[in-house]
Amino acid sequence: MKKNFHIDDFTHPGGQVTELDPAELSPLPPPYDKREKPPIRKLTDEQSTRMDASLDGVVAIGLTPPKSPEEEKAFIDKFLAGIEKLFSTDDNWTFLQPLVHTLEYCVKCQICSDACPVYVSSGRQDIYRPTMRPELFRRIVSTYIKKEHPLLRKIKDSDIDLNWQTLARLGELAYRCTLCRRCAQVCPLSCDNALISREIRKVFSQQMGIAPKEIHEKGSVQQLRVGSSTGMTPAALRNILEFAEEEIEEKTGRKIKIPVDKKGADILLIHNAGEFIAWPENLEAFAIILDAAGVDWTLSTEIAGYDSVNYGVWYDDFQFARVAIRQSQAARALGVRKISLGECGHAHKAGIVVADRVLVGDLIIPRESSLPLLEEIVLSGRIKFDPSRNHFPVTLHDPCNMVRLMGIVEPQRRILRKICPQFREMTPHGVENYCCGGGSGFAITQSTNFPDWRNSVSGRMKMKQILEAFQDAPGPEVKKYVCAPCSNCKGQFRDMFEYYDVWEKSGILYGGLVELIVNAMADLKKPFIQWEWH
Amino acid sequence: MPQLEVGGKSYEVDEDGFLQELDKWGRDFAQGYATIEGIEGELTEEHWKLIDYIREYYAQFGIAPMIRKMCKDTGFDLKKIYTLFPSGPAKGACKLAGLSKPTGCV
Repeated sequence: MKKNFHIDDFTHPGGQVTELDPAELSPLPPPYDKREKPPIRKLTDEQSTRMDASLDGVVAIGLTPPKSPEEEKAFIDKFLAGIEKLFSTDDNWTFLQPLVHTLEYCVKCQICSDACPVYVSSGRQDIYRPTMRPELFRRIVSTYIKKEHPLLRKIKDSDIDLNWQTLARLGELAYRCTLCRRCAQVCPLSCDNALISREIRKVFSQQMGIAPKEIHEKGSVQQLRVGSSTGMTPAALRNILEFAEEEIEEKTGRKIKIPVDKKGADILLIHNAGEFIAWPENLEAFAIILDAAGVDWTLSTEIAGYDSVNYGVWYDDFQFARVAIRQSQAARALGVRKISLGECGHAHKAGIVVADRVLVGDLIIPRESSLPLLEEIVLSGRIKFDPSRNHFPVTLHDPCNMVRLMGIVEPQRRILRKICPQFREMTPHGVENYCCGGGSGFAITQSTNFPDWRNSVSGRMKMKQILEAFQDAPGPEVKKYVCAPCSNCKGQFRDMFEYYDVWEKSGILYGGLVELIVNAMADLKKPFIQWEWH
Repeated sequence: MPQLEVGGKSYEVDEDGFLQELDKWGRDFAQGYATIEGIEGELTEEHWKLIDYIREYYAQFGIAPMIRKMCKDTGFDLKKIYTLFPSGPAKGACKLAGLSKPTGCV
């Protein structure tokens, strides 16, 4: 492995900048301290001819090398044109200010490095420092955009040789940051190095049409075409809701009609559509709670109105705006008073915070997190709870966008303190939380060997935190629950727990917040949470 | 795009071996792929029951059925599905049924 990184390592054609050494990864508590297999699968020879993995042997976008010097030049020119646009007010009015601030104010003090779970977990690989992408970015700007004098560049050490290989590595490197923004939180100068990751992704996507398939083609493009990134059409949604209503009746004895397209409802609830396909118990629990509390709510069957995801928030301003507008249009068509977002972190950031930048006129509809609504219901006494039904160890995972970005920290905790007698915090938590490892689209990036990297590197810190939170009962005989109010985080936990065999070895299940609430409802005859791995 | 030889024919698949051209699917694809997936011998009636169910649901709704619905409608529990398809419902059964990889936050 290479620790003393030099910029030439990054620009030199051929070879691999760094190789992850399993022995160097930060240690996990036993029995996870021994791993027999190498953490990251190697690409096959055939894959290696098609996909560049010369950064760290891992593939998120996997660019194919150019066939001629002309092709290479066109590629570089296109990239630089995209970089130039980032500095134009017309093209990048949304993020120009924080971009320039971050580029100009960073003093490379490296405080952010120790805050970065990817850097620390990887065994402190230089290339994963939060300052590495901005460093490369600044060099590109100095050499090719500002075209500073070679002597000045020499003095400033801001030179870089741009070739196809450099850009292929930079493109991959933009997908080694989960955009958790822990680096931005600790920066004494408020630089946001995660923003740089996203700006690089933007150039690749908006200018060059390059993004992980799962996020673009099968993600935001599919969402705008059929209604959901899962491919779920309105007809499929109705079929699933029928099934959910049956399940609710079987589990609770209650006949609940899940309201759909109800004009003039008080609240339009938008779930991450992953819940409908993979975790229907989450949307069922929402329906049970809102029904019991007498809330006037509805779901929508409009395009994007039943899928809160907005993957553009990770990589593309245009796709972001298109989805945000469709979601607000769905709410406007129903004439609801406000939108409430279900358990999905990035949808909170996209729909509640960033959408402010693109919504105008009557598309500005109040948009809120469902967590304070749930808190109000649980603490109001409208529903009777029996906390002894949740008498098992519970810890809480904080989705980065809810806590660090938005400061939604206490509602979920006040709920858990009331209904989970064995609730315990992870260390650290709240606004200082660690990412699940699946942030910014990583949890859905399922191709090639990227999941191996995500499970063994970007999720490693969270894995350690979870195990430590349950160290009083580490064995599988005591069933334990990681409450993760976010579909993306749940997807990451499912994959990571399978990767490490956590259900068998430690008996740790993951799930949402609403499932715990329903599980504690005093008048239900059967437990709502089923302790089955899924 | 990678190609995969299944039962003597070549198919276009994604990086993880999911069929890309859904209309190329045939029963020989499923049978051929069974060997790759570590299922011994001929696919049984139970295998086909699940594969046919998945394909019918997909034809109607354009997505794979959710796992719990799959279990309920076929009468197989998840454990049984894993016995039939060791890689599980999504990475095993759906793959043999010729569906593409699940997308979105699932």
